[in-house]
Amino acid sequence: MSGIKVEQLFHTYDDHGRTVVAVDHIDFEVAENEFFTLLGPSGCGKTSTLRCLAGLETPSDGLIELDDVAVFSPRKVVPTRRRDIGMVFQDYAVWPHMSVFDNVAFPLKIAKKRMSSSAIKDAVHDALELVNMTEYVHRRATQLSGGQQQRLSLARALVRQPKVLLLDEPLSNLDAKLREQMRKELRMLQRRIKVTTVFVTHDQVEALSMSNRIAVMRNGVIIQVGGPRDIYLAPNSEFVASFIGATTFFRGEVTSVDALNHRVTLRTPVGELVCAADEIPAVGENIAAAVRPECIKIAQEPDPAMNNIDGQVDIGLFVGEAVDYHVVVGDEIVRVKGDPRSRFRRRDKVFLEIDPHDCVLIRPDAPVPGAGDPSEATLAELVEQP
Amino acid sequence: MTLTVDRPPAPPSPAPAPRRPRLRKPTGRGLLNFVVICILLYLVLGPLLMLFVTAFEDTKNGVFITPPYPWTGANLSQVFGHSQTYSVLGTTLIFSGGALVFAFALSLTFAWLVERTDLPLRNSVFVLLVAPQGIPGVIMGVSWSLLLNPTNGMINLGLRHVTGDTSHGPLNVYSLPWMIIVEGMKIVPLTFLLVSASLRGINASLEEAARASGASFGTVVRRVTLPLLKPALVGALIYEFVAVVETVDIPLLLGVRGHVKVLSTQIYFASHPAVGLPNYGLSATYGGFLLLLAVVPIVVYNRIVRSGSHATVTGKTFRPKEHKLGRWKPVAVVVTWSYICVSFFVPFLVLLWTSMQPYVSEINAAAFHRLTFKAYGKTMSSGLFTTALKNTVLVAFFSAAMAMILAILVSWIIVRSRSRFSWMADVLAFMPHAMPGVVIGLAVLMIYLIMPGPIYGTFWIIVIAMGTQYISLGTRLTTSGIAQIQRSLEEAAEASGASHWQVWRRVLLPLLRPVFLNGFLLVLLASVQNLTLPIMLYVPGNQVLSSLIYSRWSSGDVSGTAVTSVVVTAITVVAAIVLRRASGARTVA
Repeated sequence: MSGIKVEQLFHTYDDHGRTVVAVDHIDFEVAENEFFTLLGPSGCGKTSTLRCLAGLETPSDGLIELDDVAVFSPRKVVPTRRRDIGMVFQDYAVWPHMSVFDNVAFPLKIAKKRMSSSAIKDAVHDALELVNMTEYVHRRATQLSGGQQQRLSLARALVRQPKVLLLDEPLSNLDAKLREQMRKELRMLQRRIKVTTVFVTHDQVEALSMSNRIAVMRNGVIIQVGGPRDIYLAPNSEFVASFIGATTFFRGEVTSVDALNHRVTLRTPVGELVCAADEIPAVGENIAAAVRPECIKIAQEPDPAMNNIDGQVDIGLFVGEAVDYHVVVGDEIVRVKGDPRSRFRRRDKVFLEIDPHDCVLIRPDAPVPGAGDPSEATLAELVEQP
Repeated sequence: MTLTVDRPPAPPSPAPAPRRPRLRKPTGRGLLNFVVICILLYLVLGPLLMLFVTAFEDTKNGVFITPPYPWTGANLSQVFGHSQTYSVLGTTLIFSGGALVFAFALSLTFAWLVERTDLPLRNSVFVLLVAPQGIPGVIMGVSWSLLLNPTNGMINLGLRHVTGDTSHGPLNVYSLPWMIIVEGMKIVPLTFLLVSASLRGINASLEEAARASGASFGTVVRRVTLPLLKPALVGALIYEFVAVVETVDIPLLLGVRGHVKVLSTQIYFASHPAVGLPNYGLSATYGGFLLLLAVVPIVVYNRIVRSGSHATVTGKTFRPKEHKLGRWKPVAVVVTWSYICVSFFVPFLVLLWTSMQPYVSEINAAAFHRLTFKAYGKTMSSGLFTTALKNTVLVAFFSAAMAMILAILVSWIIVRSRSRFSWMADVLAFMPHAMPGVVIGLAVLMIYLIMPGPIYGTFWIIVIAMGTQYISLGTRLTTSGIAQIQRSLEEAAEASGASHWQVWRRVLLPLLRPVFLNGFLLVLLASVQNLTLPIMLYVPGNQVLSSLIYSRWSSGDVSGTAVTSVVVTAITVVAAIVLRRASGARTVA
């Protein structure tokens, strides 16, 4: 039993006569009641993927199953209205000519299966209760604030108890405070009512905090799929590492490996770096160690148990919860999240201490999937097809 | 396996299997696109095709659209080989050029006075300058002829007391200069509306910056204001040019008696001769000529706009500091209000006066004692009048419905459907804008002369012609209307399980209602005022009020003409007020 299954999904659109590949043969599965996030920069194909799931776009090729029902294959397209989905749009898409009640009741009123008006009333009430909006039931939709419109649109998506909930950047139009609150509410609601959810966002914090699993996308392909911790702590590419958090890459050559203790030593322009690794690369290989700002400790004296890199403070920005240090190391600037009580000044000589376990090895020369060539290849393929 | 988790190897390519042709059922949307584009092709290209075929046919024995075609070049040689054609063309250009100069000079002055100076009572001036838009051209022609005809025009009668002349003149409205002035006054309201709107759209700080740089008033106008206005002015100029060259009302009412011939009346008289048989081939050739005259400037203009070489005026604007008129203020007030009297009050009052007089006379004490409503009773009880009234209402209603329903569908195709053919809908819906009404009328007439069926000779033929002509007007409104509705409102309905029809009925149509209503009333008003199509397509039985006015006038029934004119003006004024309310409500909502 699976919530959603996507196989070899391929979607192109026409941009002034030029064929653009939006989604390039991606596969993923979403388990029942899972909260699955498509994360990526704008133009990576995440919204196109979601719209294909909803049936608002017709893919060029591939297979989509929602709740074990094939809704798209090259031979069969189930129109949006016959898919068992609820969808929340980025701009909420609340109908301005209807009241709150009419907005939420719409999916029930137009359903083939007639419902009695009292049953509709109950269902609308229940849906509004889920989002704490019952007292607004008689308002006109245009009288609601942004956050309220967002809740209303969520209630409308849930009112017919769909098997799949599709969320297209629902939080991005809210202000920062409200967004944080809605993050929690949305996740708790999804757990409570148990609905398979696909969430699209470009915000890494939203993705990390809300999801069971995340798929990071770029140029129409999925680069990495995994739980929030895997994605954050063990990125598989420079792209994932740099897209999620400000990561510094120390590039270098493997000089020695210790397979027993899972230790790899790198020679980098800023000095030797010892890294912990599950899989051991060959000696002589070029590789990068990705390190997050919060994993670096800034100190006056070197710590023998750690990697120590010397640098010079360029600037320290006090942001309250931390000091955002920019430290010049060789030719590069390394960002370090320092203790709020620390007080290093510009031009101070410092040591950057890095635990070997916080150095994630990434092959820098591994061609990033989807970047450049592969999509061009599929374009050529597309043109050749009769 | 390496350290990195690569994406699975290149997608197992399904290439070996030959790609199956995708045979999907035609979707509801595709069907809608197809049907709408076919209707447009029929309505827009049908007449054009008819026009060109006929221009090359010998139509002595009728128009043929099946072989054997009586091909001939006679029409062409008759039109282009005859020196009269070139004098007609010259007159047409002088007539339209003169009217445009007259209207734009006045409109620019008034727009500047209303928008940028401390002219008193600016709001009333604005309303009263736009108000004559409600008076149809044919009625303008009638009332100016009542005022200025050389035999017993009221102003002439008054002037004769001064000059001592007793039989004739001194002014003659049946002449090219007066035709230019009356036509100019006819188009001032819309021109003023367009010019003042764009003047308001110019950020006044641009002018103030010039003044702060030391430029004199004249320099500011010449170097800043006019260049900024240029795109809007050129657009309005071309629009009004097409409107003037296609007009038949003033040329028929004033030009015919003064033997002033323009292209539009040539088309009319070739297809509707007073004696003898209509020569459709000749008429169509003139029509093609007129079409060319209208299309060329529009195409050139679109080129200019698309090349983006003009500055667009955007941004938030504020009301600038008013220019103090100072000692020129009394002059401005007198000029403005005199023009309002001459262009609006006098023509309307003379109609009212004439409609209540048993015979045409000057205004004196005796005439006041003769005031009577007899003509109203007589005119309005005639069967012809009631038929015309009924036809007018039906024609206006169905034309507006046809134009707006098509416009909404076309706009949806243009804005929303990602169909490959949406550009076709765009082009086809724009074309009637460049097609002179008299050409549409002629072509529609010929089509339904040939086509068997009950269209010819009923008011439906007028409905089809008007519906076609006003598609472009309607599409302009509905395209911006649909573009303002976020696409996601439709998609949310689909995601809620709504079918296409339900999306239209429950989401799109309710949201488009104000736009639809606004456009509906606009087309309604325009079709009540339209004389061109009703007289081109006239047969006994499909008389509407505007054509009734013309026929009463031609037969010399002055009081009947005046009564009908007063009634029509009342109808159009009411429609205009409703329109204002409706569009006002839209801006509030």
